[in-house]
Amino acid sequence: MHGRLKVRTSEEEKARKEKERQEKLKHFKYAMQKIFTKRKNGDQDKEQLDLTEKVLSSNPDIYTLWNIRREVLIYIRKNIDSEENISKLYDSELNLTEYCLKINPKSYCSWLQREWVLTTRTDPDWKKELELCNIYLKLDERNFHTWDYRRFVVSQCKPPLQEEFEFTTEKLYDNFSNYSAWHYRSKMLLELYPDLEGGRPIQDNHHKHELKMVQSAAFTDPDDTSAWFYQRWLLGAVKETIRVVTFTVTPQKTIVAWNKFVSADYISSQLKVYFNDVITEGKWISCNEHEYDNLWIFNHNEEIVENINVKIEHKTLDNENEIITCEKYEPFVFIGKNKICFQNQYSESVMKELNEQLDSCRQLLALEPDSKWTLLTTTFFLHCINASLYHKEVVENLQTLKKVDSLRAGYYNDLISKWNIEQQLPCDYENNSLHYKNGFKEKLTSLPHLQYYSFCKTVDLSNQDLTSCILPFLKKLQICEVLDLSGNKLTTLKRFPNLNLEVLNLQNNHELNLEEIELFKEKHKSIKVIF
Amino acid sequence: MEYDFPNKFQVIVVGTGMVESIVAAACSRIRLEVFHLDYSDHYGGLWASYNFEGLQKFIKEVKTNPSMKNVVYNLQEKWYINEDSSEEESKQDSEDHKTDDGKAEGTKKIWRRADFASEYRKFNIDTTPKLLFSRGLLVELLISSDIARYTEFRCVTRVLTWLNDKLAPVPCSRADVFATEAVSIVEKRMLMKMLTSIVGYNEEEMNNEFKDWNDKTFKEYLTHKGLTPNLIHYVLFAIAGGTNSMLCLEGVRECKKFLMSLGRYGNTPFLWPMYGSGDLPQCFCRLSAVFGALYCLNQPIDSIQTKTEEDGKTVVELKCKAKTLTCDHLVMDINECPKELLSPEPEEESSDISRAIFITNETIMPSEKEPLTLLRFPPLEEGGNAVTVLEVGPATGSCPKGLFLVYFFTPKVKDAESDLKPYAEKILNLSDGDQTETSDKPKCLWSLYYNVKDTNGSVRSGIDNVHVCRGPDAALDFDRAVEQAKEIFEKICPGKEFLPRSYRYNELVFEDVTPGPEFQREDEDADGDKQ
Repeated sequence: MHGRLKVRTSEEEKARKEKERQEKLKHFKYAMQKIFTKRKNGDQDKEQLDLTEKVLSSNPDIYTLWNIRREVLIYIRKNIDSEENISKLYDSELNLTEYCLKINPKSYCSWLQREWVLTTRTDPDWKKELELCNIYLKLDERNFHTWDYRRFVVSQCKPPLQEEFEFTTEKLYDNFSNYSAWHYRSKMLLELYPDLEGGRPIQDNHHKHELKMVQSAAFTDPDDTSAWFYQRWLLGAVKETIRVVTFTVTPQKTIVAWNKFVSADYISSQLKVYFNDVITEGKWISCNEHEYDNLWIFNHNEEIVENINVKIEHKTLDNENEIITCEKYEPFVFIGKNKICFQNQYSESVMKELNEQLDSCRQLLALEPDSKWTLLTTTFFLHCINASLYHKEVVENLQTLKKVDSLRAGYYNDLISKWNIEQQLPCDYENNSLHYKNGFKEKLTSLPHLQYYSFCKTVDLSNQDLTSCILPFLKKLQICEVLDLSGNKLTTLKRFPNLNLEVLNLQNNHELNLEEIELFKEKHKSIKVIF
Repeated sequence: MEYDFPNKFQVIVVGTGMVESIVAAACSRIRLEVFHLDYSDHYGGLWASYNFEGLQKFIKEVKTNPSMKNVVYNLQEKWYINEDSSEEESKQDSEDHKTDDGKAEGTKKIWRRADFASEYRKFNIDTTPKLLFSRGLLVELLISSDIARYTEFRCVTRVLTWLNDKLAPVPCSRADVFATEAVSIVEKRMLMKMLTSIVGYNEEEMNNEFKDWNDKTFKEYLTHKGLTPNLIHYVLFAIAGGTNSMLCLEGVRECKKFLMSLGRYGNTPFLWPMYGSGDLPQCFCRLSAVFGALYCLNQPIDSIQTKTEEDGKTVVELKCKAKTLTCDHLVMDINECPKELLSPEPEEESSDISRAIFITNETIMPSEKEPLTLLRFPPLEEGGNAVTVLEVGPATGSCPKGLFLVYFFTPKVKDAESDLKPYAEKILNLSDGDQTETSDKPKCLWSLYYNVKDTNGSVRSGIDNVHVCRGPDAALDFDRAVEQAKEIFEKICPGKEFLPRSYRYNELVFEDVTPGPEFQREDEDADGDKQ
C-alpha cells in the first residue's frame, strides 16, 4: 500500500533531532574554520560576508564574526563608487541584524552592529529605526536593549521629546513593572518640564502628576519595586544648592566643608578666602585626594596670628553671595559656621500632594500594619514633609521595619544613624563646643555627614555599633586630636586613615587583634593608643 | 438514502451542536467509526451562527416546525426601520455608491432594510453567544487537541458594568487597576489585595479560609473584608458575575476562574470566536472528518429503537428514509430523543433562558479602537437575575461595518421580552424614531427576543447505549459542554484518552514512498568531504 501514514514516535523524533543537530554542528565547524582561514589570508570579500552571514543567522551572538564583517564592510566600501551600491551594502547589513534580532532580541552584538551601520553610513533612516524600536517594544516592553537603542536613535534624530514622553506613558499603562520606561521618563521630565522660575528640577504640576501616577502603581502592586524606585527619585527631586557648611582655620590647617561633593575648579571659581580682608590665593587639596570631595584643605602662606580676621565669600550657582566670618573658638582656632538645613524644600502644591498621599498611606497602614512598603513609604513621606516634627515617629517606624523586613535591618539602622545626625547637627551648630558625641540613644552604624564635624577637636564615638567599614570616613576629622572609638565592633584597623591624633581609644572592640594594634602603634608613633 | 455507504457504525451522532461535535471528534480521534448527521442543512443546531438570511429561515422554522415549539419559543422579531418604499430604494441605491467611495467619515450611514438584505452574508449572528475563559476548559482542550489550528479568536477588550445608573469600565487586570481614576489609591490597594488573595488560594486553603462562610453570601464576605461599595460592586457583579444572594464559596470560585484567565491573551480574561460561537462545533467536526468520520446534513431520522442482537449485544437502530443504520452507541440531543429511550424520571420544570439580539448602529460606549465588550448587569430589582450582555462589532466578522450586535441573556423569569427589555432600554435607544435623531445611546435597528429551553438541570439520561446531550446553558462559557462531552466519551470508551493532540503533516512519515534524490548544497560537494 502506498502513502500509508505513520506518526513518528518520540524516540524516532529524538533520533531525527539528534541527527539534525550533528549535521548542523558539522556545517558550523566547517564554516567557522573557513572564515578564520580567509581572515588569516586577508580575503576581505563578498564570500566572507556570505559565510559569516550564514553562521550569524543561526548564532547571532558570535561577536567575533560581527567584527570581521565590519572589517570586510569597511574594505569593500572603499572600492564601491556608486552611492546607490553603498546604500545597498548597508541596507543588507541592517536586514541581517534585524533577522538576527528576531532570533535573539537581546543580542548585544546585533544591536551594536546596527548602531555601527547607522553611524557609519551617510544616509541613515532614523525614522525607520524609531519604528523598529516601537515594534520590538511592542513584542517585549521590558527589553532594555531596545530601550537603550531607542535612546541612541532619539539622540540622533531628535524627535519631539513630548512624543517620547507620551510613549513611556503608553508603555507604563500596558505594564508598569518597567524600570526602563520609568527611567527614560525621569530623564525626559527634567528636559521637558524644568521649573525655570522656581529653580526646581520639575514644574509643580508635573511633579504632582508623576507623584500621583507612581503612587497609583505602587498601591496597585506594592511588590513591584520599579514604582518605588521612581517614587523615591521623585521625592528627591528638589532644589539642591551647593553650600559651604563650615570653615576652620588653625595654624596647622585651613579646611572648608561642603554639603555636596565639589571639585577644585568649582572652589577656585566660586570661593574667595579673605585674611584680614585681603583675598588670599592658595591651593585646594581634597582631603581624600579625590577629584570631587566635600572636605577641602586650603594650602596658603598666611601666618595665623592671635587676632586675625578670616572670612570666606561663596558665590552660589544661583548668584547668591554667602559670606561666612570666622569666630575665635580657642586661641589660634577660628571657625566659621553656615546655617544648615537638611529639610527637602517642596513647593506648596507638591507639599499638599505629599500630605494627601501621606493620609492615604496612613489609612492603608491601619488596614495592613505590617506591610513593609506602605510603612517605608509612610516613613519617607514623614521625613520629606517635616523631618524634625515627625522624627520620633520616623525612628519608631524604622525600628518596626527592622523587625518586619529583617533582611534589610542594616539599611534601616543606617537610615536611623543618618537622620539622627541630621537632627542633631543644627543644634550642635548653635553651640560653641569643639566636641562631638551622638546625642541619641540609637547607636550609630554609619557616619554620614562627618565633614560637618570637621572642626571638632574631640570626637566621642564610643559605645556605638560602628564596624571597620567606617574607618575611611574618619579622614574628615582633620582637626581632631582625641578620638574615642571604644566599645564598637571594629575588627581591623587596616583602613584607618592618616590623622593628626594625639589620643585614640580602641578599648572594648573585642574582635580587634592585638598584633594589629601593635603594628598600628608602630606606624603611628605620635598617637597615644589606649587599648 | 441516496448514497451508498456502510450501514453499521460504532458511533452515530445525531445533531451537530457543541457537545455532539466534541464527542464525535473524540470518538473518531481514537479511530472509532463515526457517522455524524444533522436533520438540518447547517452545522451547530441550537449553537449555530446565522447570516441574516439564515436567521430569517431559522425564525420561520421555529414558528412553523411543531417539534421546535418547546425548544425555542416566545420569539419576537422587530424592525425599528420603516419598510423601504421602492422609489426610495432606487434613489438611495445610487446614493449608496457615493457613500462607499467618498463620504467623509463621521457621518453615520442611514440603514435601510434593503441594506440588511444586500449585506446579509456579512452577518454571523449567534443563537448561543458565549465567551471562552482564556484558561477555561475549552481553550485548554483546543490547545491540547490542537484543534485550535482551525480556530481564530479576538480578545474581549473590556469588561463593563452598570454602576450608579451608567456604564462603567471594570478595572480587572493589574494594568486596569493602575490606570483607573474611578477608585481611590486606598481602594486600589484593597481591590488588588482581595484579588491576589483569591487567586492565591488552593482548594485546601479555600476550604480553610471560608469554613465559616458556607451559608453566607459573597457580599457579606466582601463587606466583612472592608471593601467599599464600589469595590464590592466590581468584584461581586462584574468579576464574579453574581447577585446579592451569591454564596461566598461560589463567588470566590467564580472570581478565581476570572482572574486565572487574565494575562494570557489580552487585557481581559475572555476570547470571542471569530465569525461567532457557531464556528466552534464545526472545528470539532472538521477534526472528526479528518480522522475518518462520515458527515451528512439534511438527514432527518424517522425512527430510533434499541435492539438486542443474536449474540446478546444491544445495538441502536436508526431508520432514515429507506435505509436502516445500526450502531453500538448513539449520541443525540435530549430534545430530539424519543421518550422511550430516556430514563424514566419525569421531565422536570426546566429553568429556561431568555435571550435577545439587537443590531445597533454604534457601540454602547465609544472607545479608541473597535471594542469587544462583556457587560454584566447587576439585577435592576432586588432578588432578580443578573443579565449578561455581549457586544461584538465588524472586526469579529459578525456584522457589516457600521453595525454592532448586542446579545443579552439571563435565566428566564417571565418571557424573554419582559425579562430583558428593561435592561436593553438602559443602554440602547429602542424607539422607532429616525436614525438621524441625536441620542446618547446607540440606535437599535432590529431586535429579536426568544426563550430557549435549558435542559441542563435534567436528571434524565439515555437508556442502554443512547447518550443524550443537554443543549446550551445560560452560563457565559462552554465549560458545561466540554464536561458533558467528556462524560459521554468516558461512557462510550472508558479509560481512553480524550482528544489527544492530533499530529500535523510534518510529523507524518509516508511509508513505502521512495525518497527523491537527496538535496546537496554545492559548497558541501566541493569541500565538505575534505575535512
